[in-house]
Amino acid sequence: MTSLEATIGQALDREAAWRHRRIAVRTLITALCLFVLWLAAVRINFSFTSVVLGAPGMADVFGRMFPPDFSYISRLIAPTIETVQIAVWGTLLAVVASAPLCLLAARNTTPHPLVYSVVRVFLNLLRSINELIYALLLVSAVGLGPYPGVLAIALHATGMLAKFVAEEIEHVNRGPIEALQAAGAGRMQIILMGILPQVLPSVVGYILYRFDVSIRSATVLGLVGAGGLGFSLITTMKMFKYHETAASIFMIIVLILMADWISGRLQKKIL
Amino acid sequence: MNMNVEIDHRATKATAPELNAGPVVSIVNIGKTYARGNLVALSDVSFDVGRGEFIVILGPSGAGKSTLLRCINRLAEPTKGRIYLNGKEITDRRRELRDARRQIGMVFQQFNLVTRLSVLLNVLSGRLSYRPTWRSFFYSFTREDRAIALECLEMVGLGHKVFQRADTLSGGEQQRVAIARALAQRPNVILADEPVASLDPKIARQVLKYLKEISQRLGISVICNLHQVDFAREYAERIVGLCQGQKIFDGPPSELTDDILNKIYGMRAEADGD
Repeated sequence: MTSLEATIGQALDREAAWRHRRIAVRTLITALCLFVLWLAAVRINFSFTSVVLGAPGMADVFGRMFPPDFSYISRLIAPTIETVQIAVWGTLLAVVASAPLCLLAARNTTPHPLVYSVVRVFLNLLRSINELIYALLLVSAVGLGPYPGVLAIALHATGMLAKFVAEEIEHVNRGPIEALQAAGAGRMQIILMGILPQVLPSVVGYILYRFDVSIRSATVLGLVGAGGLGFSLITTMKMFKYHETAASIFMIIVLILMADWISGRLQKKIL
Repeated sequence: MNMNVEIDHRATKATAPELNAGPVVSIVNIGKTYARGNLVALSDVSFDVGRGEFIVILGPSGAGKSTLLRCINRLAEPTKGRIYLNGKEITDRRRELRDARRQIGMVFQQFNLVTRLSVLLNVLSGRLSYRPTWRSFFYSFTREDRAIALECLEMVGLGHKVFQRADTLSGGEQQRVAIARALAQRPNVILADEPVASLDPKIARQVLKYLKEISQRLGISVICNLHQVDFAREYAERIVGLCQGQKIFDGPPSELTDDILNKIYGMRAEADGD
């Protein structure tokens, strides 16, 4: 009996020591996080006062924008269509490029583990660069206009799409694949008849989501000279025609809301 | 008209293999050891399968039944022994393996249909090994293939569900579609890995009846894994008893005595009383 009490006593001591150590560690981590946040705040000149003090300036900008020059919208129709065209072709190119890449980047369809690793790294590189940066580089490479915008969106979206589909392929139900194998089907036949039907709904849903994102990106690509509504935005602003800038922003909002609504409707239909 | 032609075609197919009167499948000293943990799944199992024979592999779970079937069409790679199909050894060379696999249909416990595809496409996928890859890009099959698939669906009594999506079917119906898919391969042998384990007894009997009919009417040999003794007794022409990876019985159901059953199921049968 006494030995049991002794054992419990020792266990309690150990538990207390463990608890105190945990409290100490957590306090330290919290302090460290706060310190890092404070450092970051100093570096970015974080201040509430500048927001308050800047209020008149903001009011001034909005005042000069208001009311939006809605007559300018007639001249925004072409750039709006161009924005949609950039997004459509950018997404489409990404879909085409992703088709082979996703197969190479999925563990269960890749021809070799080495290919898998190389393609995965390549896709991560593609994804890690923002569309705007691609556009900046491509504008200087292929010149101003919507085409570098298309390529910029295609590059980024390929990285995103191929990785997403590769992961879907890896999570496919193994049973039907095995059944097709047993029936003597070839590699490509298994992919087309066994894997594709399983991943299709989520892949189509993701392509629609990607299209939605591409439209948002396409609206800003014009800022670096890659066509579309962003180009109207930046040129009117540089010419201090703020009422026309406001009209451009209005058009961007309308376009994004429409894209959101359409892709939402289509996704609901598919799923 | 078309159906008659098809049936003639099948009749000639069924008689042709009699040229070599030997066993359809010969299993010779098959063994499988899993590298991890040195688990012996199968050791030195041998038996022949005659044309049109309905063999039940009987044994408790973990006896190696599934491994044995999967070694036959090389979904699992045996570590020892050989398997012959119509006198020709099945190897892991890709081209030869594909030829062998097309002659071996397989039915699974979980049916393994591509559930989002139609019943017809699922059955047609049994024809894939006969056709070039480019056709699959367009989900295109020849008229002959479609005739074969429809005929196989009629054989399992599902001619009226052709265009339905596979996931709208009940479990028993899905398994019958899976049988039709195996039949569409025009196989010499069908491997059935616990085909009725996920079905209730009434539906299970129906599915086993179809498999039995196939072996009797079409001369296709069936090797069927089961763990239920009563089903084995009812349907098997011959029973192979497996326990811990070893064959401990091989004979007609009439010779399957309680004594042998106790051996197959070990102490568990005595304890459970079933």
